[in-house]
Amino acid sequence: MDQLELTPPGSVAPFDEMLLPDGLPRDTHADMHRTLVSLGADGLSERARQRDAYLDRHGITFTLGERERPLPMDLVPRLLTPSEWQHIEAGVIQRLHALEAFLADIYGPGRVLDDGLIPRGLVTTSTHFHREAWGIETPNHVRIHVSGIDLIRDEAGEFRVLEDNLRNPSGVSYVLENRRTLAHVLPEVFAHHRVRPVNDYPERLLDALRAAAPPAIRHPTVVVLTPGVHNSAHYEHAFLARHMGIELVEGRDLYCRDNTVWMRTTSGPEPVHVIYRRIDDDFLDPVHLRPDSVLGIPGVVNAARAGRVTIANAIGNGVADDKAVYPYVPALIKYYLDEEPILPNVDTYDLSDPDQREWVLGRLDRMVVKPSDASGGYGLVMGPWATDEQLHDVTAKVRAHPRGWIAQPVVTFSTCPTVVEDGRLAPRHVDLRPFAVNDGTNVYVLPGGLSRVALPAGSLVVNSSQGGGSKDTWVIDDGSHEERITLAAQAAPAGSVVHDDEVLRPRRNSPPSHDDRILQQERQQQQGVQPSGGTASPGQPC
Amino acid sequence: MLSRIAESFFWLGRYVERAEATARLLAEHHQLLVEDRSVPDAIGCRALLEALSMSAEGVESPVELVRVVVGHEADPSTIAGAVSAARTNARAIRDSLSQDTFEALNSAHLALSRGMAFTASPGVALHRVLERLLVVNGIVDWTMPRDEAYHFMVLGRELERIDMVGRLMAIRHDQLWPSSGPAATLRAAAALSPFLRTGRPIAALPVRTFLVLDPAFPRSMRVCAADAEEAVRGLYRSGVSDSGQLLREVGMLRSELEYASLPTPEDIEKFVGEARSAAVRAGDEVYGAFFRPHGTIVWSH
Repeated sequence: MDQLELTPPGSVAPFDEMLLPDGLPRDTHADMHRTLVSLGADGLSERARQRDAYLDRHGITFTLGERERPLPMDLVPRLLTPSEWQHIEAGVIQRLHALEAFLADIYGPGRVLDDGLIPRGLVTTSTHFHREAWGIETPNHVRIHVSGIDLIRDEAGEFRVLEDNLRNPSGVSYVLENRRTLAHVLPEVFAHHRVRPVNDYPERLLDALRAAAPPAIRHPTVVVLTPGVHNSAHYEHAFLARHMGIELVEGRDLYCRDNTVWMRTTSGPEPVHVIYRRIDDDFLDPVHLRPDSVLGIPGVVNAARAGRVTIANAIGNGVADDKAVYPYVPALIKYYLDEEPILPNVDTYDLSDPDQREWVLGRLDRMVVKPSDASGGYGLVMGPWATDEQLHDVTAKVRAHPRGWIAQPVVTFSTCPTVVEDGRLAPRHVDLRPFAVNDGTNVYVLPGGLSRVALPAGSLVVNSSQGGGSKDTWVIDDGSHEERITLAAQAAPAGSVVHDDEVLRPRRNSPPSHDDRILQQERQQQQGVQPSGGTASPGQPC
Repeated sequence: MLSRIAESFFWLGRYVERAEATARLLAEHHQLLVEDRSVPDAIGCRALLEALSMSAEGVESPVELVRVVVGHEADPSTIAGAVSAARTNARAIRDSLSQDTFEALNSAHLALSRGMAFTASPGVALHRVLERLLVVNGIVDWTMPRDEAYHFMVLGRELERIDMVGRLMAIRHDQLWPSSGPAATLRAAAALSPFLRTGRPIAALPVRTFLVLDPAFPRSMRVCAADAEEAVRGLYRSGVSDSGQLLREVGMLRSELEYASLPTPEDIEKFVGEARSAAVRAGDEVYGAFFRPHGTIVWSH
């Protein structure tokens, strides 16, 4: 429990998801605990080696600092009970509905700004607010086709929203790969649990992207747009394209003419109707956005405005996941949906407010300070572990540009047992990113999502760009969500599952050699080996 | 060419294909059993074993399933048995095979006979076996002259492949695991990515149609039949001759699958049954025509 030493003085012990404070496993985790204990450190080390070999072989990697490396996947899965999941799912769906309404509002009538619920200046100064997107209608009124809302579990075990990711949340491929990898290298942990499957995500995503196509297109062509092989998430882009069976394109593969987007193919230009883009807004269209972008497609914004192509996620979503807008989300939920937020926020201080700013700067050593427009943990300063120099530095930055920063108290989020050196288990902090797909009719939340784990002892930074790993995340299936018909298949006697007479026919095999022939063959004098008389030299083949 | 040599090539092709397809199927089926606990183990195990014509008696856990299907050298329906049988045939024709081919096959055999750690993580071990079998196929593909021996081997491989696709489809993953089953069927035939490129939804009928009728995927029954037909024509070109019945069997199967109209689920099952029967008849015909013609005198007691 070495991370306790690093917990700032005065703070509460983290919530451990498997073990109670007395060190015994929670009832829900008892089977898992038993399996892990029976494997022991040696067993876990061996499986860890097999896991690394598996990930290497399959090239399941992300690129960091020009180096491709496997995403560290921990062997201990994280369990969520059906009721915990129901709560998360409902909370995520609620939040998305409010954020969709917010985006439609600010890129349209601007009611929320007129009503003064959120300062107009806060919205218009967001680096991700794009006037170019104003007035672009999306065909099925969806802007957040895919989202990843980051949750943490506080000291009391309550799930809270840490941040929203409404632009290009990445990591879903690792959710699917983690499940396969774990079933591959550690099948015994699955023995006592029914886990809700995750592998239909690509299908759900493709359905949602097709549903977002411009109206009147009956068989829309959907593509995944990647910045290219040098992007850190390229593995995921290729994974999604492959599993959806659609083209993975780069900007140079597409061009616009007459407000239509075309793809260059060996059989001539083909129209494209939906672009699932995994490049940032700024790089999407050099005509409207960054003029020096070589990754985008000149004219694509006009094509979207003309309703000839759908860009998913929509341009300008970043204003809604701006960290300075985040404190207003609970109010937005009440404003648009007239509901109480199901998932609370983490307390957040708006540093553009002079009173809050001075209060925060006075106790910076107990705060986390984050740039409001960045993601991936870049630029983040953790007060309790920062050097005086870092604190001094960030104070200057905050004073110079208060709008660019927010502050939150340090939340000691929950821990899960994790395999560390030599196969030992130790608690490590985890967060959770549930992925949600909106097809305009329903929001599908992938059961589980990506649990990121801070691998260094005591660390609270889980971003893969900062040395974080991941965990396979299980939502236990109690059958309550079932719409499936497995019961019918199970009820039938197994014999009837295989009804084809051909099947019961035994396999054809080559006729067996008679034993006596083998015996006789063995007894034959092998002249090449046996020394023979006469003139031939001994040992020489005749 | 000696009939005995031809026969060994034919069975080498069959057993390597059998071992590979069975290993892939077992790995995928095991993964499905472990990952998706909605089907009781006993039923899930039985579905695979019945499709492989093996006894399901007393097999009630994924670990046990792996043990039984990996099997042992004496039973050529199992993976270890098929690899061992392939190696026995390869030994008989060692002089006609490239050294690399025999070595690759031998290393697969040794790995299996030394008892790899299948119980801990079967997927990892099965993958190693698969890798070695792929090496065998790769070396054969770029070292063997396209002569009579090669055509016998390909004919054996394609007939076995039709049989194995039929067995895979008999498991009905789609009925046992409605959500994850159809994708598992595709993975077990290494067909997931090629199928997805067709843009069709992963559901029972499109998946089954693909495995039977797809014109381009090398493990669809249609392509197998076409390749078998090509192998028989290759044999004729290299100078062997028979009554023509063998070509008739594979050619009629190929044309039935090639010119099939848009199938209903019942049609698909009918095609599968017919293809498997045709493959069995073709296998018997190879025997009668080339290996043990009627009237062959066999000394036995």
